[in-house]
Amino acid sequence: MKTIRIALFLLALLAAPAWAAQIANVYNVGVDGLGCPFCVYGIEKELGSVEGVDKVDVDLKDGVVVVTMAGEATLDRDTAKKAVENAGFDLRSFERVSQE
Amino acid sequence: MAAASEGRKPCRAASLAIALAAVADLIWADPAWSGPITFNSAIVLAEGEFVVREQFVFNRSSEDPSGADRERESVGVISVLGYAVDRDFMLFGVLPYVENRLERTTDGERRARSARGVGDLRLFGRYTVLRKNWPGSTFRISPFAGVEAPTGEDDKSDAFGRQPASVQLGSGSWDPFGGLVLTYQTLDFQVDAAVSYQANTEANDFEFGDVARADASLQYRLWPRELAGGVPGFLYGVIETNLIHKDKNRTAGVDNPNSGGTTVFLVPGLQYVTKRWVFEAAVQLPVVQDLNGTALENDFIVRAGFRFNF
Repeated sequence: MKTIRIALFLLALLAAPAWAAQIANVYNVGVDGLGCPFCVYGIEKELGSVEGVDKVDVDLKDGVVVVTMAGEATLDRDTAKKAVENAGFDLRSFERVSQE
Repeated sequence: MAAASEGRKPCRAASLAIALAAVADLIWADPAWSGPITFNSAIVLAEGEFVVREQFVFNRSSEDPSGADRERESVGVISVLGYAVDRDFMLFGVLPYVENRLERTTDGERRARSARGVGDLRLFGRYTVLRKNWPGSTFRISPFAGVEAPTGEDDKSDAFGRQPASVQLGSGSWDPFGGLVLTYQTLDFQVDAAVSYQANTEANDFEFGDVARADASLQYRLWPRELAGGVPGFLYGVIETNLIHKDKNRTAGVDNPNSGGTTVFLVPGLQYVTKRWVFEAAVQLPVVQDLNGTALENDFIVRAGFRFNF
């Protein structure tokens, strides 16, 4: 029994890196000033150029940008704020919503 | 030397006035992103972003009170490159490629003269002095200033000799201009308003009258009627007005009484806006033309084109 437990533990340890690689941090970035589709490209470009960002999805109606990070990368509020302001908008809210 | 004092010169001078003024109209549609079709917007791109705009313009004038049965057409493509230096400041270059054609009857003979090539380059900057952002909307005020450089030829000739100035592609002069534009943009509609002034200077003994403008634009989202998630393309119905006042032109320091005046255009149009592209078309219809002397009246101006950001 003890041998089985040790084997399972070792298996879990070996599997952990692969499992961890599937985790991605996702953030909801609330943006003020988004008023038309043409505006969206600028904020996608600014947030998309932040190191570690894998995907940027915009919901124009709610003024929310969903930022999905690659691997274990994280996004901090100041970085998001700078990117949003460089695009000509203002940061309304910032929250880490889940891990995919 | 007064143009009005020498026989046929009044007609010629009036043609000249209207034709070159029409060229000025042709290139005035400065860039923006989604926004007005016939003038500027206060919206700035993201830092480091470019916008390219190509606009086809057809401008026709044929209501001639002078009796010379003048007809003038100008066809052109206006190329615009805009660059956002930062979130507040944008630089623009506007270069038209035009063909000007003027027909008139002189001593019973119908004569047509034309020229084709690059027109005068407009360079200007626009700076956002006020920005207010809310969820789904923004309000911005931006003054702008620049200069129209004499890159278009102003000494073209044909079989009849030197082309009249009305057919030439450029003014030959350095002309500063400036103004103020404000924009209120929401997800449902956008309103833009602008005032501007261009101080034209003398070249080759000729000086265009200064130009003052007041413009307004409403863009209303027609489709989709209801917004869902994501970033759908927007179809806007557009209605604009342009109030344009031109001072009289001057030849050798003397006013041409058959030039200048005030025109009001009403401009219906359509615009389709996506994340990277804007497609648009509009027609400028003159609803008021209070022109001086025998100045040639405008029939209409058609504009169609696209914008692309990268």
